[in-house]
Amino acid sequence: MTALWLLFLSFSAAGIALCLVRAAAGPTTPDRVVGVDGMATISIALMVLLASFFDRQVYLDVALVYAVLGFIGVLAVARYMERGV
Amino acid sequence: MIYIAILTVAMLIAGVGAYFFRDLIAAVVACAAVSLIASVLFYLLQAPDVAMAEAAIGAGLTTAIFVIAIRKTGRYEK
Amino acid sequence: MRAFVSFSVLALIVVGLALSLSHIPFGNSTANTDRMHVAKYYLNNGVKDTGAPNLVTAVVLDYRALDTLGEVTVLFIASLGLGIFLSWPKKEGSEDDDKRGLPPASLIVRRGSQFLFPLILLFGGYIFLHGHLTPGGGFQGGSVIASAFLLMFLGNTGYRLRQKTLAVTESLAGITFVIIGLIGLGVGGYFLNNFLPKGSVFALFSAGVIPILYAAIGLKVGAELAGIVANMFGSGSEG
Repeated sequence: MTALWLLFLSFSAAGIALCLVRAAAGPTTPDRVVGVDGMATISIALMVLLASFFDRQVYLDVALVYAVLGFIGVLAVARYMERGV
Repeated sequence: MIYIAILTVAMLIAGVGAYFFRDLIAAVVACAAVSLIASVLFYLLQAPDVAMAEAAIGAGLTTAIFVIAIRKTGRYEK
Repeated sequence: MRAFVSFSVLALIVVGLALSLSHIPFGNSTANTDRMHVAKYYLNNGVKDTGAPNLVTAVVLDYRALDTLGEVTVLFIASLGLGIFLSWPKKEGSEDDDKRGLPPASLIVRRGSQFLFPLILLFGGYIFLHGHLTPGGGFQGGSVIASAFLLMFLGNTGYRLRQKTLAVTESLAGITFVIIGLIGLGVGGYFLNNFLPKGSVFALFSAGVIPILYAAIGLKVGAELAGIVANMFGSGSEG
């Protein structure tokens, strides 16, 4: 069981690090936005699994907030790009 | 513990990026990344109330308000 | 040069803070004065006193409810200041901003935002009504509701909010908060006394006045933040 958690934690850390590299190095702004959005998705998975790890169901609400609202920032930047804001 | 250290380093990288980017939209995206990692850190430290506040404010509202402000002023820092 | 000066001032402040805080025994109960006394009291008696299993809510809306009223007032003043600043009368000749048509969002964004809007509103209501049971509360639920309005502004060009509706909602919520506090003062002897029956722990209708106060705070914060967003979108652009 512990090995499984360790595997999952290292995978999500690697995913966050790779997304951060894309967001830091990305030559254009859409690259950075997609990198940060990927980071948000991995973080949502991390929060859900950590709720299972802590054995607290109420912690799922935090992941739900991020899942429901996370796309609005991306939408704002995208609308800026097409000069719609 | 190592996980918190990794996330803190990632947050520092994003914060330094927010300071040094000349393109202000990129700086706003870096701010969103800082807020995201701060939310995950609050969550890891077992403070779900604060994590939820950070998520609700940082995910959409601040990014959108900064983007509108940039639209009204200018995109590149002089 | 300026960057160097500001960095050195910042470093000085950080070192001073670290030095002055370094010998305070945070969380150390074996020292001669017990600095965790209040926290221990809340942990042991919080649920019995307030009926709210979420102790953060118990502190925010029962033990320190007056501070919460101040917090909401600060947010109100910020929203008011932004509204006054952005609705300043413009100079002559700069009024063609509204006629400059913005490109409409794509069909998916438009319909998707209209579909998601009531669901996000419902989610915000869930967060602030369950503030005494689960993480979250009025501030978080209010920001979720404001995010729903932000989504409508982003997805539909020409979407407008009636400022009067927002103002009425906000005022009614604030008046509700203060009236409940005054009733507590009359019944129990101090402002914002929890005068309703506590009910059974973990039930939705429990913890006395806390759900009512959180609903008032949620509506107030939601209306304030939505007003900020509407003001930002409503004024003209120059970029």
